[in-house]
Amino acid sequence: MSRDVLNEAVEMWFGPQHVSAHGWAAKLTVVGDFIVECDPNAGYFHRSAEKCLEYRTFQQGSLIMERLCMLEAFLAEYPYVSAVEKIAGLEVPERTKITRTIMMEASRIHSLQFWWGQFGAELGLYTMCLWPWVDREYFLNAFEELTGSRHTVSYSTPGGARYDFTEKSVRALEQALDRLEENLPKFRDMLMGSPTFRLRTCGVGQFDAKRGLKLGLSGPNIKACGVPMDLRKDDPDPNLAYHLADWDVPVVESTEHPGESDAYDRMVQRFKEVETSVQIIRQLLPQVPEGPIIDPKARAKANRLPAGEAYGRVEGTRGITTLWLKTEDKAQTPYRAKVRGPCFSSYYALKHLVPSARFADFIVIFGSLDPYPGWWDR
Amino acid sequence: MVESATPASFSHFAEEMTKRHHDLKSKAEDRKVEFLVPPENIRAVVASIDELIPDAFPESVFGVDLQNDKYELVYFFWSRTMQMLCELRVQLEGPAPSVETVSDIFPGLEWHERETCEMFGINFTGHPDLRLLLLPDELEGKYPLRKSFQTDRSRLNESGLTARAAAGQKDGGVSE
Repeated sequence: MSRDVLNEAVEMWFGPQHVSAHGWAAKLTVVGDFIVECDPNAGYFHRSAEKCLEYRTFQQGSLIMERLCMLEAFLAEYPYVSAVEKIAGLEVPERTKITRTIMMEASRIHSLQFWWGQFGAELGLYTMCLWPWVDREYFLNAFEELTGSRHTVSYSTPGGARYDFTEKSVRALEQALDRLEENLPKFRDMLMGSPTFRLRTCGVGQFDAKRGLKLGLSGPNIKACGVPMDLRKDDPDPNLAYHLADWDVPVVESTEHPGESDAYDRMVQRFKEVETSVQIIRQLLPQVPEGPIIDPKARAKANRLPAGEAYGRVEGTRGITTLWLKTEDKAQTPYRAKVRGPCFSSYYALKHLVPSARFADFIVIFGSLDPYPGWWDR
Repeated sequence: MVESATPASFSHFAEEMTKRHHDLKSKAEDRKVEFLVPPENIRAVVASIDELIPDAFPESVFGVDLQNDKYELVYFFWSRTMQMLCELRVQLEGPAPSVETVSDIFPGLEWHERETCEMFGINFTGHPDLRLLLLPDELEGKYPLRKSFQTDRSRLNESGLTARAAAGQKDGGVSE
């Protein structure tokens, strides 16, 4: 009869004051340095965004959405805008369709740069935090040049965009891309070739596609298992212009564990995501036509919407990001707005992915799923 | 790699579902199929989805307060191989709405149900963990996303800001 190790179990909190736990905390039950149970806690950032949306007009709603995840502000505000456009039946000018797509991809790159710096820092590789974040500044400069704001960009609005591309803002974006293309291979080799990094991430937090899907994981976490699930290809929004660029959904097909992904694969996947985004932007930039950026009647049309329901979906940096909108006839505010943040599921997934891991691997598993508290607390 | 979908094309799926569950009302549009599910059948229907769609992705579950003790639950599933969005709607009535959980079939929906429970007061029977998720303890049983939940100055007592409001400060309370 072996002894019951659970008698020696200790409960401990990871966060919320831990430096890596920025706005979240998980209760871990550990035996020795093995985790046997993980209970992720949410609510530290809860600002009742869904209730707030019920009291904001259709022009204002997207401003709340972008504040849920400021790292990918262009992407975060889009599901709301898309849902309003569907109910109101708004036409979007060709110019805006392309500029929106470009800025959304730039936003994705910015968010991923932030993430790999943070992930590196969580593993103690501070160089990875400091060096790429210099490049990130250039993207923020481009956002500032376009919208006047570095994080809360408020770019898309129902029926068009609030700001127009100028020569200067395009130059700022190109400068950021040039710098990224020059430095990306260097950073990638530096990180992926690092023996410390390989040791910490290979085989950690491994799951297969079927299990990941059941847990509600999407985006790069699932693509790293070799499944090309990407809304940009599968269910493209009619008011975006992904079809104008020639690109493939990036996936990682691991030879060591086919159909499964570990923390290392998910890192490889996110570098591929950056490359794809650069590829899309480079192809779309010369295609931006001249013309208006917003339908002049859009503002009036989005003031009062007819009764209806719409589902705005976008492939965010972290996975499928959606907003479900229900309106009543002639109302100025939504009847119900439901935000689905991709990280709501990836944070929950820790409950299933962490048990049996070593304590030191906890933050590696957490970081490799790229969860952002704003998305689950809302 | 998830095995690619068996013959189950879009229309085949809708047909098979209505064959299995006679009381389903379905509506199909471009890339989307919608079913109105009687509350007592939700587990059977979700189990069929799990069986018929090899790569069913549980997108979300959420509630809508239709007022006068009427609620609607909306379930979304996405399938990449079938390029299909499957929407289930469950209509609930009464002061204590309740429905069976599906979080054992799709664990990814566990927190979605937990949030719907604390925000709307819809009970999910058989759910492993219905503690508060996002709300502070003071709001237990208040169900903030119900339409009857007031967000005006009548809630000032709860927030402990009464004194400041009495002093006439404009930023004293939660207003619209």
